[in-house]
Amino acid sequence: MKKVYSGHEITSLQYIFLLSGIQVGVAVLSLPRKLAETAGTDGWISIIIGWLISTAASLIIVQIMKNSPNGSLPDWAAGVMGMWAGKAVAFLLALYFCFLLFDGLTKTVMITKIWLLPNTPSYIIMILLLVPTYMIARHGPRIVGRYCELIVYICLWIPIIYLIPLKHSHFLHLLPPLKEGWQPVLTGVKEIIYPSLGMVATFVLYPFLKHKEKAGAAVVASNTLTMASYLFITLICFVYYSPDEITEYNNPVISILKSIEFRFIERIEVPFIAFYLTVFSLVWIPAMYLTTFCSSWLFGRTDSRGHLRVLCIATAIATYFYTPTYRQNWVIEQILTAFGLGIEYIFPVLLLAFIAVHNRMRRS
Amino acid sequence: MKFRLLLTLSAVTLICVTTSSCYDQLNLENASTPLAFGMDLNEDNQLELYTSTPIFSKNIRKKSLEINATIRTLRQSKAVQNAQSPGSTQGRNFQVILVGKRLLQHEGWIQMLDVIFRDARNTVTDRVVAVDGALSEIMFLNPEDQPLLPVLLRGMITTSSDNAETVSTTAQELHRQYFEKGITPSISQVKVKDHKRILVTGTTLLTRKGRYAASLGYQESILLNTLQKKAKSGVSLTYSIPGKSKTGPFDTDTLSFTAQKIATKIKTSYQQSRFQFDIKLKIAADLTEVMFPYNVLRDNKQLEPIIAGLLKSQIEKLLKKFQRHNIDPVGFGLYARAYQYREYKKVQDRWAEALSDAVFHVSVEFDINAIGPVK
Repeated sequence: MKKVYSGHEITSLQYIFLLSGIQVGVAVLSLPRKLAETAGTDGWISIIIGWLISTAASLIIVQIMKNSPNGSLPDWAAGVMGMWAGKAVAFLLALYFCFLLFDGLTKTVMITKIWLLPNTPSYIIMILLLVPTYMIARHGPRIVGRYCELIVYICLWIPIIYLIPLKHSHFLHLLPPLKEGWQPVLTGVKEIIYPSLGMVATFVLYPFLKHKEKAGAAVVASNTLTMASYLFITLICFVYYSPDEITEYNNPVISILKSIEFRFIERIEVPFIAFYLTVFSLVWIPAMYLTTFCSSWLFGRTDSRGHLRVLCIATAIATYFYTPTYRQNWVIEQILTAFGLGIEYIFPVLLLAFIAVHNRMRRS
Repeated sequence: MKFRLLLTLSAVTLICVTTSSCYDQLNLENASTPLAFGMDLNEDNQLELYTSTPIFSKNIRKKSLEINATIRTLRQSKAVQNAQSPGSTQGRNFQVILVGKRLLQHEGWIQMLDVIFRDARNTVTDRVVAVDGALSEIMFLNPEDQPLLPVLLRGMITTSSDNAETVSTTAQELHRQYFEKGITPSISQVKVKDHKRILVTGTTLLTRKGRYAASLGYQESILLNTLQKKAKSGVSLTYSIPGKSKTGPFDTDTLSFTAQKIATKIKTSYQQSRFQFDIKLKIAADLTEVMFPYNVLRDNKQLEPIIAGLLKSQIEKLLKKFQRHNIDPVGFGLYARAYQYREYKKVQDRWAEALSDAVFHVSVEFDINAIGPVK
């Protein structure tokens, strides 16, 4: 199995951007509304708490992977507990990444349909999205990592545009802090789960890392990057929209762009959403690779391209017959959140405890 | 190898064939983009829609096409619009949204604008303008010496609101003011004078549900913008100084100044089961017009408090007006929520009534910065 990982090393920076990309992706769009619904204008405090929790979870994941520097989690599980344990882990991860991928893709298709191409059928948008996905994902983690890095660099100007609505901002909305005490803020933390999903990519990516000793610092950096962007965008939405009004918008992060007026362009959100497709792709392109990596592992294959082809074609065909509605999308998100809570937060803790016990037993 | 090539080629062909046509294609020649739309009620209280669409054609003397129809809702009216215009109607470039006076007598018209926000392709930066009069008059006016109505109105509203003489309420802003419990909506107001001239007359204030409450003139609009902290330096105010004499028909007792620095501070407290607002206004201004003899060194100290007093009494009158009509266009509710959250929360659903019971303490500090090149 070792051969799979050589020649595909990714740098620490690519690793940071890969993780942040999977987290931010489509999840950021509705985050300010969800926080406002549960925690009001104090929702931004929930982000900071959520940041602490997901950083801890990421560090636990890295700690687990330190036991397996030369193989992914299925490799390790197969080595320690036997082949079937490895297969079970691979299956679980493949299913989870597939969920992540499907959620990202369907959300992107829905947003494209609402804002850009309302009359174009979903499956056509899906096929158009899948073509570049296949082209990038088939080359393995190094190219996917480079792609993420490139997209992050060319998106660096986006925050500047979000400063423009501050002209019409009302900082009074944020006062008083802790309006209703800590309880809504703590309830709001659960809204951070969905936007921080993606940390388990480490289970697969760890063996590809060039500098494994820096993995801990890298996951802290990626979580900080993610949460800083969430905090920035949430605060801007909160001071721009009235607290009574923000819950009216499904995706306040996009709607806020509509209020920007330039002399030379009307409806600035149109080029923006087209550009955002690249940001959204940071979810499904890595997830696509990760899914096929795990599914290929399951069948004992080292080349994941065959599965990638099957997955792309299956997704396209499935979209032709069935496109989730807004409501079903919501259900998918709920399932994904529950699934993610299990696999990204609870599973690593249990696994770490198991490893501790296992190591002690072996030593004695 | 041959098989793979064949497979790739067929995949490419399949993708090209299925995805090459763009379903949302619309040629510019087939589009008709109204730049303004208006809503009003007719004598039978039926909703009337008006739109004004520019016509790009050499041979047509009149540059715009006006459509008028009785409708049920805005989206439902699309068929009627398409039936009357040369192309497919697109609501993507509205510059202004006009609402007639009869419509403003009723609550709930803001809900009728739902399509503006729900259909993502519509613009939300269009200015909302109240028409003091019937909408049919302004829509079909078409004066020969003026640009197209939407362009004219948008330009007038932009320049007037830059000078704070009216508010600059976009559809987005109206949405905010409508949903925010601590503020009531205010929109620009225009009217047709002598059946030929369109002019901005100030600001229309609406109740929480959107019904017409009161109107403000230029000077009151400036003060409203000042209280909202939206007035920029450069706004100009004129006052008659009491005790100075008039000469014949001329108001030689007046004085104008341009504010250079405006600082508004609003403090909130809650005492004796009433909200208390301390409003501190600090204005440093240049005199731009003085009609009466005036000695800088001697009269400065006299004049400053007099002007401050005039400003104060006008602001107090304005606040009384708000309280009388049960409205809060300034957004005092935002301050109440930020600083007196517990008390505000009890009354937030009927904030405007709570405000009518509030006490305002206004203090104005006025400094003359410069008097211009003449003594």
